[in-house]
Amino acid sequence: MKAKRRVVTSSPRVAEQKYPTVPKRPTAPNPGRTAAGAQRVSSRRPVEPPSSPTPVPAESVDLSVDLGRGLTLPNPILAASGPFGYGVEYVELVDLDRLGGICCRGTTLKPRLGNPGPRFVETPSGLLHAIGLQNPGVDVVIARYAETWASWTTPVIVNVAARSVRDFAEIARRLEGVPGVAALELNLSCPNVDAGGALFATDVSAAAEVTAAVRRATDLPLVAKLSPNVTQIRPIARAVAAAGADALSAINAVAGVAVGLDAGGRTLLGDATGGLSGPAVKPIALRVVSEIVASVRIPVIAIGGVTSLADVLDFLAVGAVAVGVGSAVFADPGLPVRLVESLAETCGARGMTSYRDLIGTAVAKPQRPMVRSVLANE
Amino acid sequence: MTTALAAAELVERREILPGQWLQAYHAPGLASGARAGQYVQLVPGAAAGTILRPPFSINTADAATGIVTLHYRVSGPPTAWLAGRRPGDRIDLAGPLGRPFEVDPRNRHLLLVAGGLGIAGLRMLADEAIRTGRQVTLLFGARSAREVYPSSLLPDEVEYIVATEDGGLGHRGQVVDLAPDYEAWADQAFACGPRPMLAALAGLAAGRRGRLGVATLGRKRGAGKVDPVGSPAARRKAFLQVAIEQEIGCAAGSCLGCVVMGASGIPQRVCREGPVFAAAEIDWERGW
Repeated sequence: MKAKRRVVTSSPRVAEQKYPTVPKRPTAPNPGRTAAGAQRVSSRRPVEPPSSPTPVPAESVDLSVDLGRGLTLPNPILAASGPFGYGVEYVELVDLDRLGGICCRGTTLKPRLGNPGPRFVETPSGLLHAIGLQNPGVDVVIARYAETWASWTTPVIVNVAARSVRDFAEIARRLEGVPGVAALELNLSCPNVDAGGALFATDVSAAAEVTAAVRRATDLPLVAKLSPNVTQIRPIARAVAAAGADALSAINAVAGVAVGLDAGGRTLLGDATGGLSGPAVKPIALRVVSEIVASVRIPVIAIGGVTSLADVLDFLAVGAVAVGVGSAVFADPGLPVRLVESLAETCGARGMTSYRDLIGTAVAKPQRPMVRSVLANE
Repeated sequence: MTTALAAAELVERREILPGQWLQAYHAPGLASGARAGQYVQLVPGAAAGTILRPPFSINTADAATGIVTLHYRVSGPPTAWLAGRRPGDRIDLAGPLGRPFEVDPRNRHLLLVAGGLGIAGLRMLADEAIRTGRQVTLLFGARSAREVYPSSLLPDEVEYIVATEDGGLGHRGQVVDLAPDYEAWADQAFACGPRPMLAALAGLAAGRRGRLGVATLGRKRGAGKVDPVGSPAARRKAFLQVAIEQEIGCAAGSCLGCVVMGASGIPQRVCREGPVFAAAEIDWERGW
């Protein structure tokens, strides 16, 4: 105890001797501080003249990105799977050709009715949803929408969901070669009936097995969508990448439950457990994306609570090469297109000729992802 | 798709019942295009801190003055934000959205059944019916007398009958108990309110023809031709139409968050196929 006390009493002086040049942080109005002192503080830290970048016109900023296997996006802002439906619902509201890509609703082999309602509960800064993959089945989706998709310049990535490896591969086979289908996104957050209902996304070998099976079934570019509801994301990301995924997207919704006192203390969703989306999950998404970026070399599409350009820049900073906008389109369907514009403007104002300079600034240099641009390949 | 954004200026506001507000907005484009049964969505902006655009029934719309009124209960951040607006403030409304009530032009006696805040979905229909010289009876149900919609806010021509669960005013019990007294009088019925109330009314309406021995009067128009289920023509012929209150997501028909199970076994989107349905279009047993 004596020794400890001695250390405590002497520490200020020791610290001052050890770090004599540490400047005191200037605190706002302080009458005790002399003008000379204030001047000294400022003179010790000369204000570096801001490196004035030569502004680049926004339209000449290179926003294109190559996600591998020929999946090239005109810009890194995608409509994430779910709220945006099949894209066709927004033809009159949004200039779809200016989006980087559209991930359509989860598509299964057979038609699915989805979950009983209510399917939505709004929670603080979040939206808990349990749609239950309602969709008309892959054949109807192809018949109904593929022709329209083919007429767009924006690539459409079909989100695929199934309850067995065989069904995943079968859906991939049916989508192979369909004009208008640019890529597949594997929704791994589905129960695997062959493995007693455990989610593909939570099991390293099951996730890898599905990816490998779909890889064998199709030559389409493959994006695997990973779930945040796992103890360790790194081994899953590595396994899926090794099994042949061209890119990864994360995060899928965070599992959650809402209970209402007004509803007699019962769960509020028709299907008790739902998935949480919205700004509430953004920090989780940032963490998961940065862990994935650190463990794989393939491009990562970040999804989770994007509502503004600042969110986009955050995800790029942790190493994502593209960003999906999900539940934010409910309040503002025009948001993704505006993000494309403001991203280009921001790059231009900073004198960047490509948005790639924004990627991975929060990541240690050796781990920064390699980003290929469409232009760079030419 | 008409998801035009309309800037609306708050003209007047009043707390007509505890926690329930009536706000009048000046939005000429919206007022002239709206029909009874349709809804608008509040475009929240950054201030309201909400993810979905909250839907509101169009309580009344007057094309002549350009005034649209909304009637809502404060229950959560968006409605609390809305209730805090002051005259002169501007908000953005998207709409009119959804499909309206379809009244058969030959019908003279309309029965409206409202449960609580469901009155907001029917109020405009009462206006339209009175204007076209029809007789309107409004059955209103509430938990207690303090939640009963003030009769002063209704047109004088409406016959207004109240049921309260605690018996504080009018009939003691459910509003559905009153409906059988009027089903013979009514040519057509319209309802909005809690789901169990709508289900009970749908049950009544399904057995009406057999119970009353109703004969279809007049010339049988389009005999042999069957209108597609859900079409305006088919709904016009339905005795009971209901407006369903539901969380609405995209209002574009893409997110499938607002569906109710249809009688055909296909989920129906409240935002696009509704919010008004013929009662027979909905599978009431499934409880979606």
